[in-house]
Amino acid sequence: MAKAINTIHRIQINEEDQRKKDLLEVENALVENKAAILESLKVMQNMHERGILSLLNGLFGQGDKVMHVLVKAADKPEAANTIKNLLLMMGTLGTLNVQQLEPLLLKVNSGIARVAEQKDKEKEMGYLDIVRSLKDPEINRSVTLLLDFLKGMGEDTEQLERTTQLPEYQQHQKDGSARE
Amino acid sequence: MLEVSKRQKGAIALSQSIHIKINGVEMETRGDRTVLDFLNESSIEVPQVCFHPSLGPIETCDTCIVSVNGELVRSCSAKLKNGDHIDTAAPEVREAQVIGMDRILVNHELYCTVCDYNNGGCQIHNTVKEMKINHQSIPFQQKPYEEDNSHPFYRYDPDQCILCGRCVEACQDVQVTETLTIDWERERPRVIWDNDVPINESSCVSCGHCSTVCPCNAMMEKGMVGEAGFLTGIAKQTLRPMIEFTKNVETGYGSILAISDMESVMRDERIKRTKTVCTYCGVGCSFDVWTKDRKILKVEPNIEAPANGISTCIKGKFGWDYVNSEERLTKPLIREGDAFREAEWEEALSLIANKFTEIKQKYGPDSLSFISSSKCTNEESYLMQKLARGVIGTNNVDNCSRYCQTPATVGLFRTVGYGGDAGSIKDIEMSDLVLIIGSNTSESHPVLSTRVKRSHKLRGQKLIVADLRKHEMADRSDVFIQPKAGTDFVWLSAVTKYIFDKGWADENFLRNHVNGRDEFAASLHMYTIEYAEQVTGIPAAELIKVAEMIYNAKTVSALWAMGVTQHSGGSDTSTAISNLLLVTGNYMKPGAGAYPLRGHNNVQGASDFGSMPDRLPGYERVADPAVRAKYEKVWGVPIPEQPGLNNHDMVEGIHAGTLKAMYVKGEEMGIVDSNINYVHEAYQKLDFFVVQDIFFSRTAQFADVVLPACPSLEKDGTFTNTERRIQRLYKALEPLGDSKPDWQIIMEIANRLGAGWNYSHPAEIMDEAAMLSPIYAGVSYERLEGYKSLQWPVAEDGTDQPLLYTKGFPFPDGKANLVPVAWTPPLVFSKEYDIHVNNGRLLEHFHEGNMTYKSKGITEKVPKVFLEVSPELADERGLQDGTLVRLSSPYGNVKVQCLVTDRVKGKEVYLPMNDSGDAAINLLTSSYADKDTDTPAYKEVSAKLEILSAEGLNPLPRVNSRYGNPQPQIGVQVQKKWARKDYVFPGDMVKRSEKQHG
Repeated sequence: MAKAINTIHRIQINEEDQRKKDLLEVENALVENKAAILESLKVMQNMHERGILSLLNGLFGQGDKVMHVLVKAADKPEAANTIKNLLLMMGTLGTLNVQQLEPLLLKVNSGIARVAEQKDKEKEMGYLDIVRSLKDPEINRSVTLLLDFLKGMGEDTEQLERTTQLPEYQQHQKDGSARE
Repeated sequence: MLEVSKRQKGAIALSQSIHIKINGVEMETRGDRTVLDFLNESSIEVPQVCFHPSLGPIETCDTCIVSVNGELVRSCSAKLKNGDHIDTAAPEVREAQVIGMDRILVNHELYCTVCDYNNGGCQIHNTVKEMKINHQSIPFQQKPYEEDNSHPFYRYDPDQCILCGRCVEACQDVQVTETLTIDWERERPRVIWDNDVPINESSCVSCGHCSTVCPCNAMMEKGMVGEAGFLTGIAKQTLRPMIEFTKNVETGYGSILAISDMESVMRDERIKRTKTVCTYCGVGCSFDVWTKDRKILKVEPNIEAPANGISTCIKGKFGWDYVNSEERLTKPLIREGDAFREAEWEEALSLIANKFTEIKQKYGPDSLSFISSSKCTNEESYLMQKLARGVIGTNNVDNCSRYCQTPATVGLFRTVGYGGDAGSIKDIEMSDLVLIIGSNTSESHPVLSTRVKRSHKLRGQKLIVADLRKHEMADRSDVFIQPKAGTDFVWLSAVTKYIFDKGWADENFLRNHVNGRDEFAASLHMYTIEYAEQVTGIPAAELIKVAEMIYNAKTVSALWAMGVTQHSGGSDTSTAISNLLLVTGNYMKPGAGAYPLRGHNNVQGASDFGSMPDRLPGYERVADPAVRAKYEKVWGVPIPEQPGLNNHDMVEGIHAGTLKAMYVKGEEMGIVDSNINYVHEAYQKLDFFVVQDIFFSRTAQFADVVLPACPSLEKDGTFTNTERRIQRLYKALEPLGDSKPDWQIIMEIANRLGAGWNYSHPAEIMDEAAMLSPIYAGVSYERLEGYKSLQWPVAEDGTDQPLLYTKGFPFPDGKANLVPVAWTPPLVFSKEYDIHVNNGRLLEHFHEGNMTYKSKGITEKVPKVFLEVSPELADERGLQDGTLVRLSSPYGNVKVQCLVTDRVKGKEVYLPMNDSGDAAINLLTSSYADKDTDTPAYKEVSAKLEILSAEGLNPLPRVNSRYGNPQPQIGVQVQKKWARKDYVFPGDMVKRSEKQHG
């Protein structure tokens, strides 16, 4: 005769047994990861000595608040702009072809050297002097180079741009006829 | 005219190969598809945001524009025609696509790294990346609407919504609940629910289609919010500045996408995606479940899922809380005095082994009995019957399909030979006419019903519904007939006779493929239309209309469920349905046939794999010496020859004192069997009772030992759905506490009884079943990997049979049988029991609700069971919403609150079966059963009704979908977008600016 019952006595694990079980689990984990743990301890010792641990403690202890402050601070225009410029510069640097740039830089260097040499001379140049100086093969090469450079600069590179528009420009667009 | 003739030419070329020029290269290809379909199969990449393969062209996003014969068109809707010149690389193509994308980005803020949807599948993120868009010409603009967080399971963020309309398309034309629309008339359009109410107060049935198809984070499962990303759990006040910050430092989308891509890959480390198969109804939806430790983030179906594609219902998409419920059993329980005590496995298993051995020695093997679960896997069903037959030595093994669908199986065995659906859900979808008898399909098999609703809405499929109750399918039907309870057999026979009499029978089919035509036709003589009208109450004209529609349809699929089977003559009515299909030639062709809708995820498989008293796996008869010999050879033990007891007989056996022990696995028999008072009395008489479950069920309260099992998410295995489709489920979570997968528990019990089994994985169990049972010859886990599936019978080479009958029927002469049967009138109750108590499922809950009530969201939508009463009855008895009544039958009584609705009429009431307390339907049902299968006649219940308390709170809260106001329309109505004053097709804009500059 088994009547329906719904009382259940749970197994009561006393604190001591639970503690033993937990300790065993931890011990096993320690042994299994011996090398990693010893190395981490060294890292932690170093971090402790340099005060990094207490710094992190403060950081994590007040996690949400710190995060908020951090994000708020970063979201100031100057900060955002700094990071943005950095990212932009990095991106742009990546697009430079240094191989092509090297001869140009050498030429600029030699140009600068020449300027440094001549900075004290105060000789006036007339139009004819300028035209005449084109005959000078060095000057002629420089001008051709500059003209080529200007031509390249005038090409449409819009698709290659990495930057979003500046806020002013966006504002301008909004005022004008939007496309939709 | 030219336009027309061109189109006709295109139509002719449909199935033939055509010649086209793509980016200057000539090629030959298939014609019957769109330009985008063609491009997606090629190596050419075309952006596409709103297009979804399961939804087809929606035409809202304007990003897939290409040039066809010099014209800029949306490639998703442009049909591929012979001689087309397609250009995807021209500058104006790119320009038009960019305009399309720009307009999307006006509506969507890209803060991917702190977005919960940044999981590799974001259509916007991926398209921006693919198109190498670095900035947008029009900045993002917030919409003047708040986030809608009212619904328990998903939220809508208008600010992130790109108005692609996928959700609307899915809601209107895939799920066909018709709740969502986009209001294109507003200055800033948005998705709205019904006539613009909060999500939770709308007609939304929480199927989850919208959040599944949303290409971004606008419509998102709440389980994902704040959980999926590393940085997304941050408090809202910090998140906003963070989004601003991320946006401010972004130097074009390229770099931000790179960072978010990295973060997305990092998420893979802690979010696990596991393919599983739904554990609720028999449709067999499969999907990925996303878990983070034990947390279930979301369920994501996809187009590869063979039964459901992108579809789910509220339970499959959101009803998984029970897996982590605190009420889960985590240790074996042993009865001691008047309480259970938790015990270790060792003790529980030893006790079981000792008791089983003792009882077997004392009373013989047939004094023990075993009940399998249709919630468990095929492999577990196989092991349970192997334990009964091979270890204990009894055929006393059954499963819960005895409570629902065995009569359908018998009806099919008699007539067409296999006890399974004649085809796939796809066949039902493509059928000309669907005939639904005694099935509340949209609530009991929600995803399957969507295919019928869709075909009916979009393709002109005809729908006939025969039911007592005006449920959703009845509402949508072309013809709705309401026969008196238990009289389906009569009208089916009358319609069949009428078809014979009119000379509409498919005599060719009958001659070639069917035996017994004349004898059967003669047996129908008494079932005239007049007689049927008199017995069923259906007007003659309606019956004739039904006959005509069946005759005129090229293909008919008949769907039926418990309204047919749970009657005294359930097997015979199932036979009558199959007979009607044979007479009209509706077998052996796609789109036709018999579809008994299986109720549980694995009702089909529980029987398929041998947990039946008279059949071994694959329905081979235990009485057949050759079959037994085969098993004896492999198992190395003798198999008992006499068929055993079914569930019903077992209860009788206990009362008679011949059955002493019972082992019930995953079955809340103490609630779901009929006449439960009688069943509970039986339990008390058992010498030893083992119950294995994930919860401490009502049945478990009577047990001597309760074993903690694992739900589907914690184990490997296979389920077989209503289409005979075998699908694999993979373990997503580790077993909770000390619980174990059922197959391991059964094996441990068997081994303590000396069986010596050593299965290390369910795959090995399947291999054994495949080796022994011809219909699984070619089934293996490799062939079922991932979303692959097989529909039995499966030949050794792995060929399966989506369409069950192609060459003939599995009888010696290959012919089906028309089987004459007679009507069994339903139980008659004495006059005082004047209320007919219909009963069945609700969409939201599953059966007694031990799984679904664990979901807070579902319980919010339907907190408790209620009794549907008609306005007429309410008037007559003074009932209103909330009135507490007592229903009393000769077998017991229930207490439940009323809900007045015109879904029921007259003196018929509807009591959903979702209660395990005072309103449990089976307190009312009798022990009468189908005469052929002992399936309880659950649907033959009458009762008297008394008012206990006239007033009470309405048991169905206002946030239930049943109060909603659906807004039916076809798709998202993109024409309304195009008609807006501020809309210009990007193709035209590009052309115009060309002209200006030119």
